[in-house]
Order: sequence, then structure tokens, then C-alpha cells
Amino acid sequence: MSEVRSAIRNPQSEILHVTVEAVAWVTQFVGGDGTRRRIFAEAVPPGATVRSVLLGLCARFPALRQALWDRTGNDLAEHIEVLVNDAVLGLTHSLESPVREGDRITLLGQYTGG
Amino acid sequence: MRESTIEARVNRSSGRPAAADLPGGYAGKILRVDLARGRSWSEPWSPEQMRSYLGGAGLGAKILWDEVPAPVTWDHPDNRLILATGPLAGLPVWGTGGLSVVTRGAMTNGATSTQANGFFGACLKYSGYDAIVIQGQAPRWVYLYIQDDTVEIRDAAFLAGKDTWQTQDALQERLGFSGHQMSVYSIGPAGENLVRFAAIAGDYGHVASKNGCGAVMGKKRLKAVAIVRGTGVLRVADPQGLLQAADEIAYDLQTNPTAKSLYEYGTLWGVLNLYGQGALPIKNYTTNVAPEGTDLAAWEAPSLRQGFDHRGHQCNACGMHHCHMQVIPTGPHRGEIVDEPEYEGWAGAGWAIGATDPVAVSWLNTQVDRAGVDVNEFGWLVGWVMECQEKGYLTAEQLHGLRLRWGDVEAAARLLTMINHRQGFGDILAEGVKRAAEAVGGPAASCAIYTAKGASPRGHDHRARWEEMLDTATSSTGTLETGPPVHPTEFGMPARINPFDPEAVARNVGGHLGRRHFEDSLGACIFTTRTRMENLCRALSAATGWEYPKEEAMRFGRRTAALLRAFDLRCGLGPELERPSPRYGSTPVDGPAQGQAVEPHWERMLEVWYAVVGYDRKTGRPTRETLRALGLQFLIPALWGD
Repeated sequence: MSEVRSAIRNPQSEILHVTVEAVAWVTQFVGGDGTRRRIFAEAVPPGATVRSVLLGLCARFPALRQALWDRTGNDLAEHIEVLVNDAVLGLTHSLESPVREGDRITLLGQYTGG
Repeated sequence: MRESTIEARVNRSSGRPAAADLPGGYAGKILRVDLARGRSWSEPWSPEQMRSYLGGAGLGAKILWDEVPAPVTWDHPDNRLILATGPLAGLPVWGTGGLSVVTRGAMTNGATSTQANGFFGACLKYSGYDAIVIQGQAPRWVYLYIQDDTVEIRDAAFLAGKDTWQTQDALQERLGFSGHQMSVYSIGPAGENLVRFAAIAGDYGHVASKNGCGAVMGKKRLKAVAIVRGTGVLRVADPQGLLQAADEIAYDLQTNPTAKSLYEYGTLWGVLNLYGQGALPIKNYTTNVAPEGTDLAAWEAPSLRQGFDHRGHQCNACGMHHCHMQVIPTGPHRGEIVDEPEYEGWAGAGWAIGATDPVAVSWLNTQVDRAGVDVNEFGWLVGWVMECQEKGYLTAEQLHGLRLRWGDVEAAARLLTMINHRQGFGDILAEGVKRAAEAVGGPAASCAIYTAKGASPRGHDHRARWEEMLDTATSSTGTLETGPPVHPTEFGMPARINPFDPEAVARNVGGHLGRRHFEDSLGACIFTTRTRMENLCRALSAATGWEYPKEEAMRFGRRTAALLRAFDLRCGLGPELERPSPRYGSTPVDGPAQGQAVEPHWERMLEVWYAVVGYDRKTGRPTRETLRALGLQFLIPALWGD
């Protein structure tokens, strides 16, 4: 009980921790060389959504903003696949879904043919 | 009023039409070859026909409809094997050596449209032809030799039994041409022995692989087509405009975030991208999780390329860093030269059969290409055998002592030899996995991946890509007909959809129908046409002198799709066959798409798709209204009886 009360009173505990993972080719948009993975531990306020988390990352990496969003800046473009906890958007989350502690957002290059 | 057929409208006299009468970009003639009578002749085709049918898939679809009636099955001598290129082939636009093979194929016994690149299209155009239409069956094995106005049907006894690379080697040596001086497309032992999923392969690593087109070529006893790079000149209407359009296309491919990965690495990123979405087929669809201990970092594109000594192997006029040749660096085949696999090869000769060592997979993939079979069907077939042996549905005795365990590429190669030569159980497997599973029956039958029409799915796990499952099942080309959307917003389609939303999936597949038919009619590669349609249309307009808007391109594509569908319906391939096999349509048991069941939504997806494309759900026919809107009134009497 005391732990719960402590958590409510402590602003630090209201911060949510979300991981954003850019995989392989997508890493070139977040300062990488297009290989492996780049993992970002994002601390976000309660009420943060998938969209706001992505926008936060895009604010630091303009190249990602250009690749991820369409010309309106409101919708995702076709180039990068977004998954939340391994599920593509639309299954368990939309862009407007609130994120939870420990959620993992993955950015994958779009499939380009056989 | 019925539209006249190409056969009826052409001027029978041979010889090149006056260049000024032709739209730019066209050679102006169609080469006809009758193997039974040992003769060849050329026919001009009219500017009106060029505008209506463009080339490649569009031209082939019209010839198929006009000249291959229902009784002419895939193995009938009167079946046509159409090797067509298009108006951009041979021009300075990236990837324009394109070849479209159109025929009545062996897998579905229906329409086939399958593409390859290299140099064939350019060599053919420079020799003065936009397409070759082959009919009849030769009395003995022959090859077709073309050098400008010289067209000869020559004895091919010395090529018998050679694989597709050996065939090219032998023809180069005998004819004295090497490198890009001559394009050779041939069949390997698989095509010679009428393996139902045999392919036509050429220019070391390029394969027109779908729907058993190699079996059709084998049935005609045509071992190879060798075209010396001709000396003709292609006129274009607006040379400066063409170069500007070509620059736009190249710039788009280098800078568009999706196309850029193709520009840099071809399809190598496909393995990891699809794995992350649960769409990498692993062990015959039994799992979507990599085997324990798999080094996924080794499957990143740079690793796949840099892990081998490699050289660029570009197609005609192409600046993409796509096609490559490799040297096997380690293992029992160290030092052998192979072609860098496309994604489909990494999947079909690799993950689908549980093989996750890139070196071993690369080697096996080239054996498949050299033998001349479709690597997709090979993967489904070998994966099925491996699963059936693991579960005791097939015994080693049935396979003459051969025991196939997941990932054993050497055993898979031995099975490939059995199939190619129809040895023992290989004779049953040579019929493809659908017919083999039906022959074996019992629980083995439920493990096979195929469509009811008989077409081989591409090398993805379509249970996480419902668009492609619907596309494959409804297709009239023997393979994907629409393919993944390219620049979808250009036509008002959404940039992305929920891949498990059945209605959105069906609207997307139906909404994009036609684009690929247009691409496949240009004589260009599907990877270099991954640019905006307005760029492609600008190039086509500059080449031909037409004003060719993107709306006309889509209408053209839908006309071609409707023609191919009409052909399939005439062949007896109706809507009752538009469904996946039980395994193909099953529900993933693990991975990112775990639990996503397509089966409950299948009927609804079909309903929506039919409504979007304007076909009748009950009969499968394009409606009268659709046919009129597409300018295909001449099909109405044949399809609707009025």
C-alpha cells in the first residue's frame, strides 16, 4: 500500500518507459548505418500515444520524419512498418493508442518484392 | 462488332515498316516461328494495336485469347509460347532488357504471364522484333537463333541434358559471342523432362519461372533461344524527354525510402523485413520463429552481400545495385560461382526448407536456377517432403533411401536431380506439390502449400500477408497478379492498411489491379518500375510520341487482366477454384501473426474484391459494364453469349 502511495506522489514514477527499436535498414534514418538495430529507451508522460512517441523520436531525427510520415505529416507513409509488441498497427494498437510501461515499438523496412 | 484479331489485321508481308509510321520505341514486327514446319516469318503490327496492347503481358494476352482455344491445352502443339518485350526495352531507361513470357501454362493449364530481365528484350528489339510467337512442336530438339534478319531453327542435339548455364556456355562457345553480345534463354533438364514447374532461365541468373512455362517450351522441343544483340536502331519520339524521364525514374529509385533499399541491395532485405512481420515462411509454414541458434545478423543485406566475393551483374541499361554474382566462400562447394539469390531464392531454397546458412542456401538456389525450375514451387515441394518424412507420412523407402531432414541442402539437391529426371518418386514430385499431395493422400495431403487453381504461391508466408493470398488465389497469371502496392497514394489508395482487415485487404488488392500488367508490358524490370506511374507514363510518352496519362495505364492494365481472366474462364478455371489449400490458408501457430485466421474472412474478401474489380461473383466473369468500360466489347459474346 505504501508503495502505491509513493508511486502516486512521486512524479518520476509517472514516467512511462517505452522502447523504440529501429531494425536494420531503418537504422539509417536514426543515425545508424543501415545494419543491426538501434534501440531507444524513451521516457514519456502518462497519456503518451504511439503517435506521440514516434513524433518525439522524429523530432530528434528529421530523416526518420521524412521517411515515416506522408506529406500531410498526419498519416504514416508506406515505407516503414510499425509494430507494437510484435503486432502490426491495427491489431492491438492504432497510432492513437496509449502506450503502457514496457511497450516495444518496432520500425521495420517495408517489404519490397521477391 | 467484334474487334479484329491481330492475326487478321496484320499485313502478311515481311520486312520492316517505315519508321515514320511507327510510334517510337517499337521495332515494329512480330517474329512468328512454327517449329513443326520449320519455318519463320515476321509480321508488322499496327500503331493502333501497339496503343491497345503495348507489348509484353498486354500483347501476349491478346494473342493468347485469339489463338489458343480451349481444346489447346498447355501441352498441345498449337499452344503458343510468346516471348514478348515492350516499348521501353532497349532504351536508356534502367532495367530495360525485359522479357514477358505468356503462354498457357502447365501448373494451372491456364494463362501465364511471367517476367525476367537481363538482355533478352534489348537484343530482340535491336534485331527488329517486339515479340516472338512460337507454335508447333519440333520433330527433334532445336534451338532458335536470331541475328538481325537471320532467323534459323537449328539442331540442338549437342545441348541435350545441359543445364541452363551450361547451355549458355555451349552456345557462346559455338557461336563465338560472349558477355552482353548475345542473350540466351533456355530450359534445363527439368524442362526437357516436362517437369510441371519447369522455368525458362537466361543470361546467368534471370528466370521466367511461373506456371510451368519451361514445360511448355520443353513440350515444343525448343531447348533455347539465342539472340545476338542486333544492329538495328530504335527511334524515339522525344529523345530529350525520354532522358529526362529516365533521370526522374533513377532519382526516385535512389531517394524514395522504399525503393532506395532495392537500389542499394535488391531484395536482400526481404528476409528480415518479412521475418519481423511473421511473413517469412519457415519449415513449410509449420512455424514463424527462426530455429534456435540462427544468426539473424547474418541475414542482414550487407552481411548477405559482403559475406561473399561478389560482382555486379546488371541488366540492360541498369544502374541498380541489385543483381550480383557470388563466389561460394566455404564448404564443399567452395569456389563455385553462383548468382546472388533474390529474396525468393533465400526463402524457397532456404527458410521454407529449414535451411538458414546463407552459403548453403546460395549454392542450392543456383542449382535450382541451373536445373530450370521455379524456386517457389521447389521450396513448397521439398518442405512438404521434409515435413512428411519427419512425421512419417513419407518413408525413406518411398524416396529410394533418401532421407531429407530440415535444412539439408545436399539432400535437397539430390531430390532436385530425381525430380529433374523424373527418377522414381521424383516422377510424382515432378508434377508439383498439389498433384503429389493428391497422389500420396492421407495426412500428407493436408501439409501441402498450393492454390486450388494449381499456381505456386510466392515465397512469403501469406498467412501474414492476406493481400498476397487473395491476389494469388484470384490471379489469372499463374502467380501474383497485382503484387504489393507501389506508391499507393498516387491513385488515392491508402498508404497502408491493417493487413488483417479483410475488407481493406480486398479493396487494396482490387484497387491496384492493373498496375503490374502495365509494368509487365513495357519491357522493363518490376524493380525499376517501382517508381511513380507518372514517371513511367512520361517515359512511355516520350518514347512513343503518345500522350499517355497514368489513368490510361491503369485502364490498359485492367483490360489485360480482364483478357487473361476471360482466357482462364474459357480454360475452365472458374471462381470455385479461388481458394488456398488447407495448409496455405491455415492459422499461424506462433510469431507476429499468431492466431490470425484468414479462413473465416475468405468469402467476404472475395465478395469485396469482385465488387471492386467489376467481375461477377457467381460466374467469375468481368461484367458487361466492365467490359464496355474497358473497351473489351468483343469479349461479351464469348463470355455472356450475347
